[in-house]
Amino acid sequence: MDHEIYILIVEDELEVMDAIVNDLSEFEDHFPIETANTAEEAQSVVDQIYHANNEVGLILCDHVLPGKNGVDFLIELQSHDLARNSKKVLVTGQAGLEDTIQAINKARLDHYIAKPWTKEQLDSVVKEQLTNYVIDRKYNPMEFMAILDSVKLAESMRANPLTDN
Amino acid sequence: MQKGFLLNSRVDILKFINKVISDTPDLQKLVVSFNEKEVLFKQGENLPYLYLLLEGGVKLNRENDDGSSLDILTLEPGHFVGLVSFNTGNDSLTTAVALKPIKALRFSQDDFDEYLNNHPRLRHPMQQLMMSNMTDRLMGNVQLESKMHALNQKLEDEGEQLKIAYSKLEDSQQKLVHQEKMATLGELVAGFAHEVNNPAAALLRSSEMLKENFLDLPSGDPRSRIFEIGLNSSPLSSEMVRKRMLEVQKKFPYVKERSIIRKLAQIPEEGHEVIIDQRKKTPIEILVQQFEAGKFIHNIKVASERIANLVKSLKSYSRQDNNEAEMIDLRDGINDTILILSHRLKYLDMEVKMDEIPKTCARLGELNQVWTNILVNACDVLPDGGKLKIRTKTEGEYKIVVSISDNGPGIPDDVLPRIFEPNFTTKNQGAQFGLGLGLAISNEIIRHHGGFIRASNRENGGAKFEIILPVKNC
Repeated sequence: MDHEIYILIVEDELEVMDAIVNDLSEFEDHFPIETANTAEEAQSVVDQIYHANNEVGLILCDHVLPGKNGVDFLIELQSHDLARNSKKVLVTGQAGLEDTIQAINKARLDHYIAKPWTKEQLDSVVKEQLTNYVIDRKYNPMEFMAILDSVKLAESMRANPLTDN
Repeated sequence: MQKGFLLNSRVDILKFINKVISDTPDLQKLVVSFNEKEVLFKQGENLPYLYLLLEGGVKLNRENDDGSSLDILTLEPGHFVGLVSFNTGNDSLTTAVALKPIKALRFSQDDFDEYLNNHPRLRHPMQQLMMSNMTDRLMGNVQLESKMHALNQKLEDEGEQLKIAYSKLEDSQQKLVHQEKMATLGELVAGFAHEVNNPAAALLRSSEMLKENFLDLPSGDPRSRIFEIGLNSSPLSSEMVRKRMLEVQKKFPYVKERSIIRKLAQIPEEGHEVIIDQRKKTPIEILVQQFEAGKFIHNIKVASERIANLVKSLKSYSRQDNNEAEMIDLRDGINDTILILSHRLKYLDMEVKMDEIPKTCARLGELNQVWTNILVNACDVLPDGGKLKIRTKTEGEYKIVVSISDNGPGIPDDVLPRIFEPNFTTKNQGAQFGLGLGLAISNEIIRHHGGFIRASNRENGGAKFEIILPVKNC
């Protein structure tokens, strides 16, 4: 890979953020983590990542945030040329049915994790979503065999024999 | 016979007629008598005769379509019986029954014409009697009309009062339902709070014990030193982490792993000193891990303290089952309410300035409902970052003033006078939880406490609610 695929975490409670980041630290060698405490900050982090020619593979986003809420942020990202491809996961204890429906319909939400989460659950969702991202983007699966879902990656290799990228 | 404007009285005319009867055998032939309860004619019959009542009394009654019977008139001596039907040729509208034994003159159409128009002695008295009968009935009619009008009026008034009573009943029913809901919620919350307290206490104790275990190292060991630094550090904002990660990369050029760089970024300067000091002696991963352990125990402690505080507030907030008045500091309830509503208030720019105020006799749970209603209303109208000010102060020796003001849109002039009325709500769109009772109930609670509540608009925009409560002993 000539560039980085980032994981972006949006969460306003610092202790909770700390816990999520630590649960995902095993991914960080392959997928650098970025964090933001508000939707506005997240927006600028997304821009910075793409500006540096990197990309956001996965966004884990809380719903209740000061200022713009998580679902609205994810919906807005759908009109972002590049970040619309990012996998989107809502990690929240407080999104109502209405908000969740909005997120699924308008932000093409990929997964919903209810707080409190477990490390196993978080790990498996992140692994699955990043695997899907890598396959969707047609990146060389070999590079991710060690960290992501190797069975699924191998299947995708058989379905789409590697070209020259 | 007197002539003039006034008619002779029915009794006088009758006396005269009786005299004429006694002088006139032809007339005597027309005299008939009926026993008590005997029927002279029935409703719906065509009447061949007209009776002039000489003695006794007759009752006219009418059977209505629904089968009920209505007394129309009571006729006395000197009255004609069957007058309307006889004169118009229409079927009788009523049934005539003798109230007591009666005597009457019974005229056929021909007899009547003869006596009324041609009889030299009876002509005038009969005409006068006709007039008198008509006048009586007309007067009766007028009285009836005005009676009916009065009755209608009364009926309308009663209908109006019924409407008012009904709407009052509806109000109090809604209030009862609301109170019932609040009471149930209070119980639920109190039970929940109690249950959550145990695990929260366990968490807090465990974090303390974990701390002791980690500190069980020779004193001065760099590992326990950096663990303690972790114990006392709070998590940094993501912006700060980003900034410090750049600094860490310069400071520790030999660290390549991004996850370690991130962790180092969260360690304060004094921790960095320990790590640099221990370079080549203790692996950096071990020290970072020690710091993290301290930090996580700190996080557990902070989080479980937060749970404990929330529970405490929730418990005192929901103390509505205990409806006893007691000496309380109003500020405790306000603080609890602020904590309970923190999920909404955190979007606002809050300014809380509560002066020292004396304790007063009040019901804490009820007052919490008041603070909640006003604060929730403010949250509903304020945009993110809106300003909300809460003040407490004493006025003179015996009054406490709590004022809650915002910089929102204010209260429209047409709404202001009605704002404390039940069922007045501007939250029509969507299913807000309000019943339009919040402020009405608040008003009632404060009045019940011997105080008052007023709403106004601030000169420079925004709404202001002031609650004035007396300082008193229980």
